[in-house]
Amino acid sequence: MQFDALAPGSHPGLIYPAYKSTVKRGPTLPPVAVHAPASLKTNLAPPTSLLLPFDADLTAQGDGAPLGDKIVVTGRVLDEDGKPVRNSLLEVWQANASGRYRHKRDQHNAPLDPNFNGWGKMLTDDDGRYRFVTIKPGAYPWGNHDKAWRPAHIHFSMFGNAYAQRLVTQMYFPGDPLFEFDPIYQSISDLAARERLVSRFSLDETVGDQMLGYEFDIVLRGRNATPFGL
Amino acid sequence: MSHAITPSQTIGPFSHEAWEWACAACTPANADGSDTITISGVLRDGDGAPVGDGMIEAWTPGAATIERERDHALAGFRRVPTDDEGRFTLVLGRAQEASCEPAALVTVFMRGLLVHQFSAVFLEDDDLDRAALLNQVPPERRATLVARKTGPASYNWDIRMQGEQETVFFDYGGAP
Repeated sequence: MQFDALAPGSHPGLIYPAYKSTVKRGPTLPPVAVHAPASLKTNLAPPTSLLLPFDADLTAQGDGAPLGDKIVVTGRVLDEDGKPVRNSLLEVWQANASGRYRHKRDQHNAPLDPNFNGWGKMLTDDDGRYRFVTIKPGAYPWGNHDKAWRPAHIHFSMFGNAYAQRLVTQMYFPGDPLFEFDPIYQSISDLAARERLVSRFSLDETVGDQMLGYEFDIVLRGRNATPFGL
Repeated sequence: MSHAITPSQTIGPFSHEAWEWACAACTPANADGSDTITISGVLRDGDGAPVGDGMIEAWTPGAATIERERDHALAGFRRVPTDDEGRFTLVLGRAQEASCEPAALVTVFMRGLLVHQFSAVFLEDDDLDRAALLNQVPPERRATLVARKTGPASYNWDIRMQGEQETVFFDYGGAP
């Protein structure tokens, strides 16, 4: 098992003062580069019984239709060599159309939607593809600075096929005017890397007159980690 | 053909409900200490203040095989939130074979942490001289990865994001 060293700028800096919480929470010492132990080859294999029927359709978890624009989000999870990451657990969570999370600590003065929880999970298929149906999330204020509003985003958690492929990230929507004011998005110094977090509108994935389609491909670490894909 | 990796972003403050299913599913049925160990500690920030909204994941591949035989839903895996005092408790399956392996590979997530951090926890009464992963860490920092024994099958291990005892975090891109 071998992973390439991370290219500079791939990930955000750990301490990015414009995002205040990073100042005391980001490690100050560089990570210790180690050769990955053999045990990192394995990863959890969640039984499909843990995946519930509506986990991949976040609009079908309540008694009625949630408010907002119904969308489909799909893409492929690949490793650095472009090989599909198969049968891999992916979790998503997000705010509702009003920009409110179903979370006890969310104090945003926007309505909760009784028909929208905002979380789901799924496995990638043999082609590394995932697909879920949801509601386009709203922007919301977060108090980091004056007029601090997060661009609309969906959180993604990926397990990959090997432990060191673990990644948590956020998917943004194309053309959002809040990008240039958001320190979380801006914390990624490399412009090309930053743009890799923006989904693209897809007419192919758009479903008739029901929902717009967005595509978001994800590349995990793992050169030489999964010789034939797993 | 080389593909550039996708950048990391913070889990933010509102991940808990979405992640809860796994916290529930990975609780071991049999936690009486006969074949498990408990590692508890506090997650602290650069001021030493407890991080009350963190998430800790632990992966023990050596225990996964045994737990899979027992129909454990997420064999070898644990996910626990920190409480308001920053405390976490990991009840781990004991990998039988290799006492030089870490008790668990650990991943740390929290609001304000833009890239989740990989670490590992070792037990002080294990054969640490033979621990290949630990021995790649500069000697003066190894103690940050070693849990101290507090009872027959219980240990204490704190995670410090910054400061004199800053926990060692890994980049797995090191040369073999």
